[in-house]
This record gives sequence, C-alpha cells and structure tokens, in this order.
Amino acid sequence: MPLAQPVLCKRIPTYPWGDPKDRHYVGYDQFTATGGYVGLTKALGMAPKAVIDLVKEAELRGRGGAGFPAGLKWSFLPPEDGQRRYLAVNADESEPGTFKDRLLIDFDPHLLLEGIAICMHACRLDTAYIYIRGEYHAQAKTLNRAIDEAYTHKVFGEGSRLGQINGLWPTCYVHRGAGAYICGEETGLLESLEGKRGWPRIKPPFPAVAGAFARPTIINNVETLAMVGPILDQGAAWFKSLGKGRPDGVPPTVPASFGPKLYGISGHVNRPGVYEENLGIKLSTLIEDHAAGMLNGKKFKAAIPGGISMGVLGPDEYHAELDFDIGRKHNCLGLGTAGVIVMDQDTDMVAVARNIARFFAHESCGQCTPCREGTGWMYKVLTRVEAGGGTLDDLDLLLEVSASMGAMPGTTICGLADGANWAVRTIVNKFWPEFEARVAPTRSNRVSLAVVGATH
Amino acid sequence: MAWIAKNSAGATIVRRSEPYLTPALKAKLEADVLPRYPTKRAALLPVLHAVQHEHHWLPAQALEEIAAFLDLAPAQVLDTASFYEEFWLNPKGKYLIMVCQSLSCELMGQKGLLGKISRKLGIAPGQTTPDGKYTLMTAECLGSCGSAPCALVNEVLHENIRADNFERVLDTLE
Repeated sequence: MPLAQPVLCKRIPTYPWGDPKDRHYVGYDQFTATGGYVGLTKALGMAPKAVIDLVKEAELRGRGGAGFPAGLKWSFLPPEDGQRRYLAVNADESEPGTFKDRLLIDFDPHLLLEGIAICMHACRLDTAYIYIRGEYHAQAKTLNRAIDEAYTHKVFGEGSRLGQINGLWPTCYVHRGAGAYICGEETGLLESLEGKRGWPRIKPPFPAVAGAFARPTIINNVETLAMVGPILDQGAAWFKSLGKGRPDGVPPTVPASFGPKLYGISGHVNRPGVYEENLGIKLSTLIEDHAAGMLNGKKFKAAIPGGISMGVLGPDEYHAELDFDIGRKHNCLGLGTAGVIVMDQDTDMVAVARNIARFFAHESCGQCTPCREGTGWMYKVLTRVEAGGGTLDDLDLLLEVSASMGAMPGTTICGLADGANWAVRTIVNKFWPEFEARVAPTRSNRVSLAVVGATH
Repeated sequence: MAWIAKNSAGATIVRRSEPYLTPALKAKLEADVLPRYPTKRAALLPVLHAVQHEHHWLPAQALEEIAAFLDLAPAQVLDTASFYEEFWLNPKGKYLIMVCQSLSCELMGQKGLLGKISRKLGIAPGQTTPDGKYTLMTAECLGSCGSAPCALVNEVLHENIRADNFERVLDTLE
C-alpha cells in the first residue's frame, strides 16, 4: 500500500503530495508551527532508557546502508562514567546514486537536529558532530544556519532544554570532510573527525565502547536520526503500521522493514528525484508511478537497488520489492541507501561495471592490500574488456578477484571491497552473455578459483 | 587517489616571510574552532579548510605553520592533508571545475559534456589553463544523481547541465 501521508517529507513538497518547485528552507519557527520538536518534548519527559526502548520497540533500522537496528546500537553504550560521550552524525553521503540526506539538510534540517537532540538525551551524549562531505558546501551553510537557530531556542548550548549531560551543556557542530568516500565508513569517519587520514579501524573495540577520541560514540545516518522525532511523537505502533513486516515464516529475531524510507531514483527515468514511500515498494512502482516511467519509453534493463556497492538487479527483477530483505531474495548485497539507478535497454553493462570499478579503485583508502590492489585490478581488466581486448580468462579473473577481497571473505578491515566485489560480481554474473560476447572466446588451461557467486 | 605516495622527501619548501596562517586567522580559529574539539589535532580538517579558503591552496610553508599551531609534526599535517582530494598541495586555477563521472552522470551524458568542456578550455582533466583561470577535474559522485549530469564550479553546484548552457556559464566567470 502506498504511503498515505509523508513523514520525512512532511515539510518538503514531494510528489504525490506536493510540487518540488515549492521547496524552501524550513526554519525553526515554521518547523515548530508544524509539529516540530514535539518528539523532543515527549522524549525529555521520559527517562533516557525509556527513549532507547521506544526506538528499539519501533525496530527502526539504520537508513545509511547497513540497516543495523538503531535502538539496539544505542543500547550497546556502556553505563555513564561522567566523562564525555559523542554523537557522530554521518552526513558523508558519497555513495553513487544517493542524494537523499541532502534533501533533508537542504529543506528541513531541524528534523535532523530534533533527532540529534533526542539521541543525545537518550544516550547521554554531550557533543554532536555532523560530519558532512566537503562537496556539500551549500548544505554545510544551511546546517549552520539551522544550528544557530537551535542554539537560540535552547535546543543546544548553555541553558539547553536537555539540561547538562556529562556535566556539559549539549553542543552540536558541523564538521566538514574533504572529499573521501571512505569517511562514510563509520570508523573512517571517526579517524577523519580526529584530524587523521580516514582509515577505517579494526573492530572491536566498537565505536559504542571506544569511538571518537577513544570515548563511547554513537554514529547514525542523517535519515535515521530524522526518523526518530516522528517515532517519539507518534509512537512505535504507528511506525510499525508503515512499511513491511517480517517475511512469512521468519522468526522475530530477524529485523523487519518497518516505516517509510526515502528512495532516490536516477538514471534513465523521466522524473528522477527523491521520493518517500513505505519500505517494500516495488521497483516497478517506483519507476512507473513516482519517476514517471522509463526515459524515451525505452525498456528496463537493469537497476542498482541502493547505491552502486549493492550490486545490480537484472531485467527479470523489475518487480523486486525494495526492502531490507532484498539481498536474500535477489542476490545482491542489500537495500543499501535505497539510491536506485535505473538503466535502459541500450545501456552497456560492461561500461557500467567499468564505471563502478573505477569508483572503488579511486576511493579505496589503500590500507588493506586486497582492496587497494584488487579494485585497481578489476578496473584495469574491465577497461581492457570494454576496449575489446579481453578474453574469457579476464571474466574468470574478475570473479576470482571479486570473490577474494572484502570483509566478508575476511581479507579487509571494512566493507568497501565488499561493495566493489558485489557490484562487479553481480553485473558479470547477471549479464554473463553480454560480457561473453565482448571477449575473445579463449581460455587458457589455468584453473580458475572463481567459485563464489559464479552462476555461469 | 588517496593512497598514491606523494614525493615529499625530495621536495624543496618555498618560503616567504609573511605567514599564511595570519595572526587574525589564528585568533579566529582559536575562538571559533579549537574549543569545539577535545584535542587540537581534531581541528586539523577545519584549519586546513580555513587556510585553503584564504589562499586557494595549501603551500608547504602553510602546512608547517598549521603544524606549529596545532602542536603537530609537519609530517602529521602532510599525512592528513595529502589523503583528502579537496586539499590542494599545488596551486590550482581560480575556478575549479569538477565534473562528476559516477554512474548516474555517465548514464546521462557526462562523457560528452567533459569532452566539450575539455575542448573549450583546451586542457585535459587534471590540467590548468596557462592563464591560471580554470582547472578541470573529474570527480566521483557529487550527490546530485537525480539532476545528472552535474559539476561543481568552486563551491557552486550546477545541475542538469547541458553543454552549451554550461559553456556560457564558464564564459561569464571573471
């Protein structure tokens, strides 16, 4: 069932409720006049632990890519010891296909600030840093404007309505990144926040125990925190009435896909943009109803479900349901950021794979050898295949390299290489005939180790 | 690319008597930025941004001054500064044009656009025009996939770019 009323887009005109042309910055006054900061007021009337329990009960899953339950993450914090504890807000939105957090920051930043304040109250965090990617110049300015308003109205700062936390008045700052995709990885983000190169850390210790400045730290995506205010305001039962429950026959320990979600859609569609819908919306519905169909009436060929690191959906997966269970059902990495990229019948999938491999080769931080070398290797092989100089050996090699790098095979610290290998592997596997037709049909006698994920 | 080793060992530092990190800028950073963080090092990215904003790039002498300011070794500052693509350790043109080349932009015609800009300016991506006015770069995803193709010109994002319109935009830059 389509989402009846917008939640995150309540103040951001979005089809079908409004026209994007009418979008404008929503300041503190307009935000509060339209029900804003009510969730915060309710939260402040509750014990911190009760707020965490409510978010847990709502089963809010992280909206930044991994889909980890936010309430559970919050409950991992150790007991207070009177020393400082931090919130790092991940606004490093750099995953190709993803442009949803930007929408919230541009037009309704107080929704984020409300979630930040609630999280700081619930988790007893005294300082929040919004880590925003360096390229978001305008968005950093908008955030600072909204934060200034929030200080004026005692959300943060001296005399804050949150009261003192860990002996300090709660503060919130914008921290600008400087052009590195890896800083969206939560521990890479923390390293960068500390003024170092954004090299992901080996876990454990997890950030909840030893994060920023070796102190307990919560890291949440912008959209996740923006969802917290409405949940506090309207309750867990309301939130769970939206979206999609657990698949049939799955035990309650498996997280479900409750709530609305921002879907970014781009590529070969008539009306690209960010849309808010219930989790579980079909890709075909998103393309036809929201994005007004395929560009130039062409046929659907493939789509990235949620940022390029999630892999690809093929022509027979046009009706795939975009929820947190998509990875299991459609052999991709997951829903990711729900930044959908649509490709039409004329799209060269070899070029797509090459583009994606280049991205990861470019953005690998260089810390782990399998990723540093592997991503570059895949890019070179795909460039060769695209130029017509490839053989079947090259395709075997692609599958072999992609199967052996990443946190899941256990050869890298973070998941960047997993994103790279899922993307390349699913494209090569799902479009094998297209790749096969592009290379010379010769294979050496070498035995390929491409066993993981190879379906040909 | 973040992990390419930079030739710093054999580099000669060009010095000038006037500091890049001026007393006025220092005072501003001490008042506004340093108190935000529990360590001085954490202020490194904001300080690098501030100095680059003033001077358009980060000369080696500026890195040394920043190191002294934040009680760091110059190597620590270089280590961080060289990791991030937005920090320029060499001069760049007055206008930095960054054309997004990630998937949505490539699907929507980024290659043709880049070619046209390149021909118009007479430089390849990665180069600066001889008059120092334009530097052309490719960028990975700028977070504007729904309005592809896109490009950043200094701090201004241009969306849904059509090559002819964009060429006119470049012409109007002083």
